[in-house]
Amino acid sequence: MTPFELIEPRTLDEALRLLDPADPGVRPAGGCTALMLMMKAGMLVPTRLVSLRRIEPRYRDIVASDDAITIGANASLASIEHSARVRDELPALARTLRTLANVRVRNVATLGGNLAHADPHMDLPPLLAALDASVQVQGRGSSRYASIEQLISGYYETTLAGDELIVAVRIPKRAARGCAYRKVTTRSADDWPALGIAVALEREGERVRAARVVLGAAVDRPTRLLAAEAALQGTRLDETSARRAADAAADEARPSEDARGSAAYKRELIRVHVRRTLLEAWCDEPVGAVRQ
Amino acid sequence: MTSERTPGPQVGRSPPRREARAKLSGRAPYVHDLVLPGMLHGKLARSTRPHARIRRIDTAAARAIEGVHAVLTGDDIRQLIPQPYHGPAFHDQPILALDKVRYAGEPLALVLASDPHVAQTAARLIEAEYEELPAVYDEVEAMRSSAIVHDVLKPAGTFPDLKHLAGKRDTNVALDFHLRRGNAARAFEHAEHVFEHTFKTQQVLHLPLEPFVSVADPGERQLTLHTASQSPSFVRIEIARLLGWPENRVRVQVPFLGGGFGAKVYVKLEALVAAAALIVRRPVKVALTMEEQFYTLTKHAATLRIKSAVDAEGRISARECEVWWNGGAYADIGPRITQKSGFTAPGPYDIEHVSIDSYALYTNLPPAGALRGFGIPQLVWAYESHADMIARALSIDPLAFRRKNLLREGRAQATGTLMRDAALDTVLERLAQRMRWDEPFERGSGSVRRGRGIGIGFKASISPTTSVAIVSVSADGSCHLLCSTVDMGQGSDTAMAQIAAEVLGIAAEDITVVHPDTDVTPFDMATLGSRSTYHMGNAVKRAAEDARDRLFALAAELGLAPETTPIPEIFRRKYGMQAGNVVGQGSFVPSYIPTDHASGQSSDVTPFWMVGATGVEIEVDTETGQVKVTRLVNLADAGRTVNPAIVDTQLSGAAIMQLGFTLFEQIEFRSGQVANASLADYKIPGMHDLPPLIENEAVTAHEHGGPFGAKGVGESGTFAVSPAIANAIEDAVGVRVTALPITAEAVYRALRASRGEPLAQ
Repeated sequence: MTPFELIEPRTLDEALRLLDPADPGVRPAGGCTALMLMMKAGMLVPTRLVSLRRIEPRYRDIVASDDAITIGANASLASIEHSARVRDELPALARTLRTLANVRVRNVATLGGNLAHADPHMDLPPLLAALDASVQVQGRGSSRYASIEQLISGYYETTLAGDELIVAVRIPKRAARGCAYRKVTTRSADDWPALGIAVALEREGERVRAARVVLGAAVDRPTRLLAAEAALQGTRLDETSARRAADAAADEARPSEDARGSAAYKRELIRVHVRRTLLEAWCDEPVGAVRQ
Repeated sequence: MTSERTPGPQVGRSPPRREARAKLSGRAPYVHDLVLPGMLHGKLARSTRPHARIRRIDTAAARAIEGVHAVLTGDDIRQLIPQPYHGPAFHDQPILALDKVRYAGEPLALVLASDPHVAQTAARLIEAEYEELPAVYDEVEAMRSSAIVHDVLKPAGTFPDLKHLAGKRDTNVALDFHLRRGNAARAFEHAEHVFEHTFKTQQVLHLPLEPFVSVADPGERQLTLHTASQSPSFVRIEIARLLGWPENRVRVQVPFLGGGFGAKVYVKLEALVAAAALIVRRPVKVALTMEEQFYTLTKHAATLRIKSAVDAEGRISARECEVWWNGGAYADIGPRITQKSGFTAPGPYDIEHVSIDSYALYTNLPPAGALRGFGIPQLVWAYESHADMIARALSIDPLAFRRKNLLREGRAQATGTLMRDAALDTVLERLAQRMRWDEPFERGSGSVRRGRGIGIGFKASISPTTSVAIVSVSADGSCHLLCSTVDMGQGSDTAMAQIAAEVLGIAAEDITVVHPDTDVTPFDMATLGSRSTYHMGNAVKRAAEDARDRLFALAAELGLAPETTPIPEIFRRKYGMQAGNVVGQGSFVPSYIPTDHASGQSSDVTPFWMVGATGVEIEVDTETGQVKVTRLVNLADAGRTVNPAIVDTQLSGAAIMQLGFTLFEQIEFRSGQVANASLADYKIPGMHDLPPLIENEAVTAHEHGGPFGAKGVGESGTFAVSPAIANAIEDAVGVRVTALPITAEAVYRALRASRGEPLAQ
């Protein structure tokens, strides 16, 4: 690894001022778990890292309101995993974090860093997309919100400008929403997933009022499977309807081939695992779900 | 320190590993930690072509980087060492590429700088102009390819059976081993049933968590090497040969290794750092990255064709084996693997007519070498898959088929050597009992189907090889054990101390084991092939007996009772104070009769036989092809176990390593280029991949020639894992996979094909 300058500003404003969109050698740094690997491999050779770890502590807070849970971008993945609020109201998120990387990574990796990295194999982007999360982005004197699909624009690509930082992620609460995420690995258990499937189902009585089905890892960015979602609309979820939606998902998905499987095989995995994830999400019972 | 003479038996108990505390607390020293005054760091530039003549290497841009001390190419090495080629079987591998490159990733130039980051930056700027040559990657194609990896074969001269290859041109065959027993061709003509199958294995990596690292320190009279090596004595001899120096001007020191598995044998980085240090007259360190391990040494991919004649009762009457070993661009120890594993290619079965042809081939891939089994896991994969396929076709239970054909004690094996102290039957029967083979088995339901499978393999030890040990008793009765066996994680320090302690009648904990230092510790061939417990164990036992005999003689000379006088008392009486040493020496080299070149026959091919068997219970997800091993049972004949706890972990460690090689590990090549050279893209088993039930058992056994009846066990756990899993898959879902790795996709595709709905590529 080539030596570099490390700056640890104490405020978000200072961090934003230290960034330089004209200089690709200047990069913001969260938990550095992905960044260090890229630097060791010589893929990324920054001249200056602006660490966010010492900025105001409020950017680590997890706050619940009547209609949303808002998680600061500096929150470590472990702090989200262990948050009582998250466990009660978004159990699928807490479950997903338990198999995300390992405890050493989760203790330092941050939510904002995870999203800004935009590695297509990440577990959180498809799950947060299924949960209809929005990302609060702060620039110098400007602030905007983006959906996950708007934020992540391609393979390791985001719509973040060089002087913008993610400051929070807002996950809206929904009545009677069941959610599940499946990380599908085909080699070792701790491999990058061949596919990640996130499902959120909003119920109305015994039927699906709205569904979000998002595919990750097998494609270059989290991708909603709209035909599968449409197939679920208004149905009573059972083995048959789940199978029909899963077939639609397999037909519309465009998985890519890599060491984890051929495109044809991944399509079959999508067929199996969308069905299984749907049935799992249908049985997901968040504690203290709000009634609208 | 103790003068206690009666601590009880030392062999057969399980004192904790003596280095465990130092390792767990981060205090154990490794070569990666070593920094010497004035030391330069070397970083390699590597070939980007699989096979090409080098027109020019452009080092100007690298030299221009501030802080670069020197840039060396093969031509600079040749100034110092006129014939800079090394290797245990062939002198075929240049220290840095000369004239041509033979695989993508071959070391091309070395950049030296005080700052490793500077060296790395500069190394990336080195470019070469090539004239591309046709390349060959497949071991079977290499037999007849017009692409020739080495213009002329250069056997090292150490192995008599390679001499006939000297000077041979236009061939990629680095060794052909043939064995003929009886008349296989005629037996096939009269056979009731003939079965023929072809199996494949893939290139995998040793992947010790400590990558290769060596430091050379050029002194006034001596060159000292600090290196993560499994073979310090070989390194000393080979470096001395390259330099034209006497052995005593090269000193090789080896601390603990962070794993070896056969990768760190013979010369790896040692010749490079030695040459560089002598050229620049400064200490030089080369520490590879995890990624660079993929370009250093792999495990042989192999194609194995096996054909059997079987009579109406299920007895195998004849077997024909052809094996092609993909050795990569440099032979390393591949020819030895080709020959030694060829001895046992027909498997642990009593077969009258046998024909074996085994070929070591050069290809344009990174070199392949020994990896925990010396070719045996590849062979067992073939013959134990083949065994179940025959048994199924004849509707014979796989266990019954093996019982019927098993090679029994006292019978001649394919080479003609008699089986002695090879507990094949006990191991097979104990496996059957543990698997409860005769009881009904729960088959699963829905998309989860369960199956079980077994396999058994054996191995002839590499022979003949030499070990020497020294035991030094100090005046207070405490002891040093000097031996060049490398403790690379297998627990040899602990086991060797137990053997010496047993003889001396003291506690193993009271012996200090001196780590390999060729100025201090005596010769040992290498730490490989599960040879240390038997060979070094015997040398240590003899050294301890020699020391004990000398002590007793000294006591008798002083008029003391040899058996009961405390050791310090003997020294005090001799020297008048706490002073002096008694030094015992022991060496061991087993008998060996080379095989006949034409027939492969010999009455003495091995000092001992290793036996390993595995049984598995698995679940197959029929919708995805995912295989989950739910129970893994490993059996072995390790003779009498010196340290039962270490034997247990050797068995499970080996089996888990082989589990990764079986289910998913694979170096992927695209046009000769490694496509997954990182731990992110090459996956090894983690904690979550371990079967929930793992059982290991070393059966009650005794090896007549071993120290206190013991023999090696480091590889036995790898032998039969792969075929046991493939056999269990067929048992569960009725499909047969014949190529490793058995990925979920491979199983899924086989399931689809068996339904007549093959999945498109």
